[in-house]
Amino acid sequence: MVRLLEPVPQPVPSKRTPPRKDADISRKSAFLLVPGLVLLVAGFLIPSAAMLFAPPDVPASEIFARLGEMLTDPYDLEVIGRTVGLALAVTIICVVLGFPIAYWLARSPSRWSGVFLAVAIFPLMLSNVVRTFGWLVILGSKGALGQLLVQLGIVEVAPQLLYTKLAIILGLTQLFLPLAIISCYSAVAQVDPGLDDASRGLGGSRIRTMWSIVIPLTMPGIVVAATLVFAGSVTAYTTPYLLGGSSQRMLSTQLFNYASTTVDWASASATALIMTVLVFLISGLSSLIGRKGATS
Amino acid sequence: MKRPITAALAVIGYVIMIVPIIFVVATAFTAGSTLRFPPEGISLRWFDEALGYEPFIEAAISSLGLAVLATALALLVGVPVTLAIHRGKLPGKGLVEGLFLSPLIVPELVVGLALYQQLMIGMDLDNFSTLLVGHTALMLPYAVRVTGASLALADPALEEAARGLGASPLRAFFTVTLPVLRPGIFSAGLLSMVTSVNNVPLSLLLQGRDFRTLPVTMLDYVQQSYDPMVAAASTLILAATVVIAVIAERTVGFAKIFGGINQ
Repeated sequence: MVRLLEPVPQPVPSKRTPPRKDADISRKSAFLLVPGLVLLVAGFLIPSAAMLFAPPDVPASEIFARLGEMLTDPYDLEVIGRTVGLALAVTIICVVLGFPIAYWLARSPSRWSGVFLAVAIFPLMLSNVVRTFGWLVILGSKGALGQLLVQLGIVEVAPQLLYTKLAIILGLTQLFLPLAIISCYSAVAQVDPGLDDASRGLGGSRIRTMWSIVIPLTMPGIVVAATLVFAGSVTAYTTPYLLGGSSQRMLSTQLFNYASTTVDWASASATALIMTVLVFLISGLSSLIGRKGATS
Repeated sequence: MKRPITAALAVIGYVIMIVPIIFVVATAFTAGSTLRFPPEGISLRWFDEALGYEPFIEAAISSLGLAVLATALALLVGVPVTLAIHRGKLPGKGLVEGLFLSPLIVPELVVGLALYQQLMIGMDLDNFSTLLVGHTALMLPYAVRVTGASLALADPALEEAARGLGASPLRAFFTVTLPVLRPGIFSAGLLSMVTSVNNVPLSLLLQGRDFRTLPVTMLDYVQQSYDPMVAAASTLILAATVVIAVIAERTVGFAKIFGGINQ
């Protein structure tokens, strides 16, 4: 409405439509938003806010009381600590493995690199249940890895591999490595290969070129990769459920337990709140780093 | 190899990404009845079992139906939003776009819990409708962002020319804008379908007795019985996914589809 009353600023020569029509377009385009907005607000924003602050039959104060308990209770703190710790480990592993792969894929002149890029991205389309199930076959009590260790004479009895932190780390790394590769790949592809050559030509070693040319220039992509992997690991459900079980509870499996098994709304909401805050924190931190990188 | 460290890290990375998938396929063809490795003989019996297992078939049909409906709905309300953002004269476009991308940031499990409490319990909505609302909301960012990317590449002067030559706004949309949007709509549709069919965290709490989704049904099955039927079902899903990936690669290139959403 306000816009209608204001004189519409006109960069005269390039404008083809008269001002009255302009205001008309503005109103019409606002109209285009309506169905989408209704769905977004009613189907996502209101329920999410209501769940975090006013679940059925539970006063909001109870959620915050429960939240306070969780942040002091040793068992709950262990779950939070395990979630953050595993997510950090997976993030570091995915960046350390993903960056070299992305660099190689982006810089290799081989026609095979296209195939390898496709192989790295393809798992993103594949169901997480299918991808995680493979680890049950490998790590299970009669699984391939345990049998192999026994037959090689390294151990006498197949060790417990499933339902351990290692299993979760392997599963989550498999899940999120493709994301890390894509993010790093697009960053590396934007760096002029001539810069590598120049550094090498001026006598820089391969490692020096990597540390002082390639990595600083691709830092924004690496930050995006780390953010996606961390947020994904904190919120993943299938992997901790199948590979961690009840002995290695993470926030996601804990949340499901509160919501479905014990029907404890206050605890479920408090857990959801912790999870959401963690994801928002990492996203905020990442855009802060991104902005700093852009201005320096 | 000139770069031994890079090579070693790349090998480890690919092993972690690919080897578990190979094990799934290998186990699916076992003649034995456990997830033992190496498999005891070769047979197709578990494929037979998986294809004859009613809960999986029903859930697969449900999941596909849900994905098609949610994707169509998300595109139907999402494309107008994209048009408004890229072609309209809105104040605060960045804010509007951010709002429509917000379902990507909130953990899906949290959204699932919210919809379970507020729509299924609070408003007595049935579980299919709740799933449809949730999946559509989750697909909206794809519909808005991915179609927006192809719209941003096109020259608005084309539409102005059509209008200037006397085409009605609707005619200009169907003859000029829609063809420009087509690759974006295709990518967004594909991405949404795949995401919806595979989704676990959002759907997890929204399962009902009459309407269950495939990945959650498979998860429940794995938890109860430790036999290779899920490996066979997984192998079938893998085959279907490969077909879709090839189609995606031939048409728009799937690196493009999956690279776009997170940038």
